[in-house]
Order: sequence, then C-alpha cells, then structure tokens
Amino acid sequence: MGKKQNKKKVEEVLEEEEEEYVGKVEYLLKWKGFSDEDNTREPEENLDCPDLIAEFLQSEKTAHETDKSEGGKRKADSDSEDKGEESKPKKKKEELEKPRGFARGLEPERIIGARDSSAELMFLMKWKNSDEADLLPAEEANVKCPQVVISFYEERLTWHSYPSEDDDKKDVKN
Amino acid sequence: MLTCSPACQGGLTIELRCWEYKYRQACFARRQQRIAVSLELRKAKKDEQALKRRNITNVSPDPADQQTKGDSLTLQEIISGVNASDPELCFQATQAARKMLSREKNPPLKLIVDAGLIPRLVELLKSSLHPRLQFEAAWALTNIASGATELTRAVVDGGAIQPLVELLSSPHMTVCEQAVWALGNIAGDGPEFRDNVISSDAIPHLLTLVSSSIPVPFLRNIAWTLSNLCRNKNPYPSDHAVKQMLPALFYLLGHPDKEVLSDTCWALSYLTDGCDARIGQVVDTGVLPRLVELMSSSELNVLTPSLRTVGNIVTGTDHQTQLALDAGILSVLPQLLTHPRSSIQKEAAWALSNVAAGPRQHIQQLIACGALPPLVAVLKNGEFKVQKEAVWTVANFTTGGSVDQLIQLVQAGVLEPLINLLTIPDNKIVIIILDVLFFILQAAEKISQKENMCLLIEGLGGLDRIEALQLHENHQVALTALNIIERHFSEEEETVTALPARDQDHKFLKDLTNTYHCCTTPKPGPRP
Repeated sequence: MGKKQNKKKVEEVLEEEEEEYVGKVEYLLKWKGFSDEDNTREPEENLDCPDLIAEFLQSEKTAHETDKSEGGKRKADSDSEDKGEESKPKKKKEELEKPRGFARGLEPERIIGARDSSAELMFLMKWKNSDEADLLPAEEANVKCPQVVISFYEERLTWHSYPSEDDDKKDVKN
Repeated sequence: MLTCSPACQGGLTIELRCWEYKYRQACFARRQQRIAVSLELRKAKKDEQALKRRNITNVSPDPADQQTKGDSLTLQEIISGVNASDPELCFQATQAARKMLSREKNPPLKLIVDAGLIPRLVELLKSSLHPRLQFEAAWALTNIASGATELTRAVVDGGAIQPLVELLSSPHMTVCEQAVWALGNIAGDGPEFRDNVISSDAIPHLLTLVSSSIPVPFLRNIAWTLSNLCRNKNPYPSDHAVKQMLPALFYLLGHPDKEVLSDTCWALSYLTDGCDARIGQVVDTGVLPRLVELMSSSELNVLTPSLRTVGNIVTGTDHQTQLALDAGILSVLPQLLTHPRSSIQKEAAWALSNVAAGPRQHIQQLIACGALPPLVAVLKNGEFKVQKEAVWTVANFTTGGSVDQLIQLVQAGVLEPLINLLTIPDNKIVIIILDVLFFILQAAEKISQKENMCLLIEGLGGLDRIEALQLHENHQVALTALNIIERHFSEEEETVTALPARDQDHKFLKDLTNTYHCCTTPKPGPRP
C-alpha cells in the first residue's frame, strides 16, 4: 500500500515489531482521519514521521519503567487476614447477666471458704446484708479487701513445732 | 519483728481441706439431681411427642435445658401463647421465646423461624399499648436476625424493618434501644438489607436519638448500628445516607467511651475505603485532628480502626494526603512502627508507603519527621508482612524522590536490609527490591558516584545475590537482575582500593563509607 502516494498522515505509532528472520522493524500505525480498523503495519523505511517514532520510543521506555516501579497509591488489601479485628456485623443479645462478686456493689463481710478452681484460687464470700454468697478470685479479694483475706488466713493458721536439740531453752522472744 | 524460738520453729499451714471437701460433696449431689431431673423431662417429652404428631422436631436442643431456664413452657405452649390474643399469656409466651433465643449455647433460631412465629412477632412490635411485649418481640427478632443470612432474610421478609423503624420513636427507651439493635443486625447482613433499612428512613430517627443525655450502653448500640449502615460495598451506601450520618459520626468521635469511639472509627474506616470523592466527604467534616489523637490511644480497639481510617485517607488524592499530613499523622505513624502488635506495624507501614507515593514535598515530610530510622529497623527485624509494606515504602520513595532524597534514604541504611531480603521466596517483592537498587544506581550515576555505589552494594553482598538471581526460575526476576548487571556492573573491573580515598569532592560518599564501615559486619569480599 503506497501511503506516500495517497498522502495519508500518520496519527500515532502504536506498536513496534521486529521480524524474526529478516531483522526488519515494522511499526503499527494509526492514520489520521481513519479509525482503528484501518491501522496498518509498515516497515521502518516506509515511514516519514521521525518525531512520532521518537515519541513512541520514549513513551515505551517510561511505561516500562513505571511498570517496574509501580509508584502510586495502593488501596486497602481486601483479603487482609486482619479482617477478624473488625467489629462484629451481627450481635446476639443474651440474657442479662447477673452481677457477681464485687460487681454486686456489696460490702464484703467475711470469707467463708476457699477453693482451687482450675489452678486459680477462689474465695467464697459472704456479703453484708445478703444471704447469697458467691465466688470471686483470690487475686481480686487480695487487692480490694486485704483485711478480710488476712482474717480468713489467720483464723486457719496452725503452728507446727518440731522437737529441737535444745529442749530446755524455753525463752520466747516476741 | 517476729522471731521464733527453737521450740516453735517449724511451719505454718492453713487448714482449708474441710470446706473444700464439703463443697465437692455438694457439687456432686447437685449434679446427680440435675441428671435425674433431665431424665424425667426427656421421658415426659417423648411421651408427649408420641401422642401428638409434629413436623417440628429437627434441631433438637436439649429439652432439659429449656425447662431448667426457669420457664416451664414447651415449644408448643410458646407457639400457641405467642399467637394468643390475651395480652398476659402472649407476653409470657413471647418472653419465653425470647429466653430460648437468648441462651448461651445454640439458641434454636431456626426452630422458632420454622414454627412460623416471625409474622406474629412482627405484629407484636406494633402493640404500642404493651411496651413490654414490644420489647420482648423486638429482642426475639434481634436474635433471629443475628443468625445466618437466611434467618435475617426471614426477619426482613416478615416485614420487620418498617415497624422497627417506627419503634425508634417509642417513648420507652428500652424498646427504642432494642429496635436499634435489631436494625443493626439486619443492616449488618449486607448491602441489600442495609439499603432496605436506609430507605425505610431509619437514619433521621437514629440521629434524633443521639444526644448527650442518653445512657452510654444505648449510645454504644446506636454507634454500632450506624457503623453497619456505613458498612459493605457493591454497592456502597448512597451519598445522601452518608451525608446524613457524617455529622453524627463527627459528634460521636468526640465521645470519651472506648466502645463508642471504636464503632465510630470503624464506620469512618468503611466510608474511607471507597473512592476519592467519598474520602473527600469524610475529610471535609474535619475528623482528621481527632483521628490523629485517637491513633495515640492505648486501646487497641480504638487504635486499629482510627489507623485504618487514616491509612485509607492517604490512598486518596495528594490534597487529601496533605490535609492528613497537616493534621499531624507523621507525628504518630513512625512510632507505630514499633508498636507491640505486628498488625499495627503493618498498617502504619502501609500508610507510610502511600505517603511516600506522593509528591516530593510529602517525601520530604517523611524524612523530616524521622520516619526513616524506624523504617530501616522494620526492614531489618520486622515480621515479614511488615517488611513487605516497608519495601513498598522504600520503592515508592525511590521512584518519587529527588536524587538528594535518595541519598538520605541510602544514608539511613536501607541498602543492607534490602539486600538481605533478596533471598526471600516472594518474587514480586524481590523484583521491587531489584528495581529500587536499579534506581539508586541510576541516581548515583547522575552525581557521578556510580562506581562507589556499586562497591557499596557489592560490599554488602548485593552483587553476589543479584548475580545469583539471574538464574532464578522466574523469568521476570531473572531479567530484572540481568538488567542491573548489564547496566551497572558490567564495566571493566577497576582496582578496588583506590576509589574511596580519591573522592574528596562529594561529602556524601565519605559519610556513607564511614557509616558502613562502622556499622556493618564484614561481608564477603569482592569477586575474584
């Protein structure tokens, strides 16, 4: 096709292709005033649009570089494994829980028992003005009512005495 | 001071065994009794079922559990009671249904739905003369809607939304609050039901409820429901709905309660996870300064969503990012790189990577706020997911920064950890690192320091690694590595020793070689 004779103007160089065996470079061209359907491939020597070719080669280079570096904002990762930290989409309302222990707002009277509940020491607490005793962690009682805890332990102290060599020494220093 | 005479030396024990034993006995006795009771009940239930033919037996919750809840109504009694016209009977039955639906383990949601109770429960929502009944019905529907999608759908199909929205205007606060919760569950299912709730005009009524005088638990529910109305994509909530909610969200953001703050921040994070225009809507309300404050919270539930929101905002336009920078995000983000939780570090690094993707003024602010040292630290020691984000940050910095800024980046010590990361199996990240090295070498070339930069990289073991990557099975990795070698390392070998000493003109390289000689452990020597 003799483009020079028809004097069609090259609008844009779209692609560059190198023929394998011949080693010839061809360009895919868009012609001014014609649609993309009329694009043609032309060998290098047929072209008389050095500026367009230079522009094309430059843009190729930049595109390549941009692909490589991929600067630009990245939106949130929708497959993030941290999704589990989001707030629950649905919530079931359960029975209103009865307040227990100190949450009942009562004053401790005395500890009436202790229990080792799955490696955590629990106290059974009698509260003032209530017949209902309940369990609470010793850790909490130690902080919130230490005197009550001490009384509990003191009431249950047992002394062991072992026979000593100096049995006749009887003075006790207090 | 207490001293013991030899006579009483020994030890102390505290006698607790007595009570413990008695307690154990009591526990055992109670358990025996429970077993006996449940056996009785099962037997009775079997007899009952043998007499009546029912098709609702499928999912069988332990009948004993139902009974011991304090209500002795069977499922059949509940069904007929709820449908009864007598208000008191109806109330008892509805409350019993509610209790069944609220129990901790496997509440029989589907059972109640299959019993066809939803339409009746929806009807009961409208009994304004009996607010306690409205409350129980709303609670029952809340819990059904808290289940899987088909259960929520059953509630929606039963026409619950409209009456629930009307309950938002109830003079009884507990009824109101329950309606808020139910609508929250419905909206939380997905965009379809969310929009159904919105088009039933829920938002204005919800906003009316927000005031400083309502109890905190109620406010928490409202914040949570609002967040569900902001949630989900495909489609996003409408502009009109968002415009209505934003002022309320701004107000709630100033509240001191942690849970209110958390849900409000989640709402904002959903909104900012959208197009730039949507981000703009959020930013225009002026939430940024408060978000920066909340990013310093010690409460993880507040920090996580506020950080996410800010991270989303800086994915927007340069102008929006500038506003975020003006609000002071860079006074907090670098510190978050050392937060004990790696998920927080990751989000902070991700946000920084997007700031680094901006114009040079933004990159300059990154440098000025001292982000580079903690970034390098994370590159060295962070968990892999955090290191990845840091690599992106460096990559964006490299492609967008000026030569001078790149020099500062190198001076901060990024080269060593980057080179060490070249051995990871993540090909995409390896390619990014190679590109970074390529760019840095190019920049060095521009200031005639290429040979020295090559030596630096070689000295850190980089050349060996890049050479090895030329043989990588991934085509693009191999090509990228090859490109670097060909472009920057294929000059004739020069005598290694002379160069650094010769450089008098440019302070940069002097500083750099000093830094590396002091700080790095000896690396493998130059190639033979």
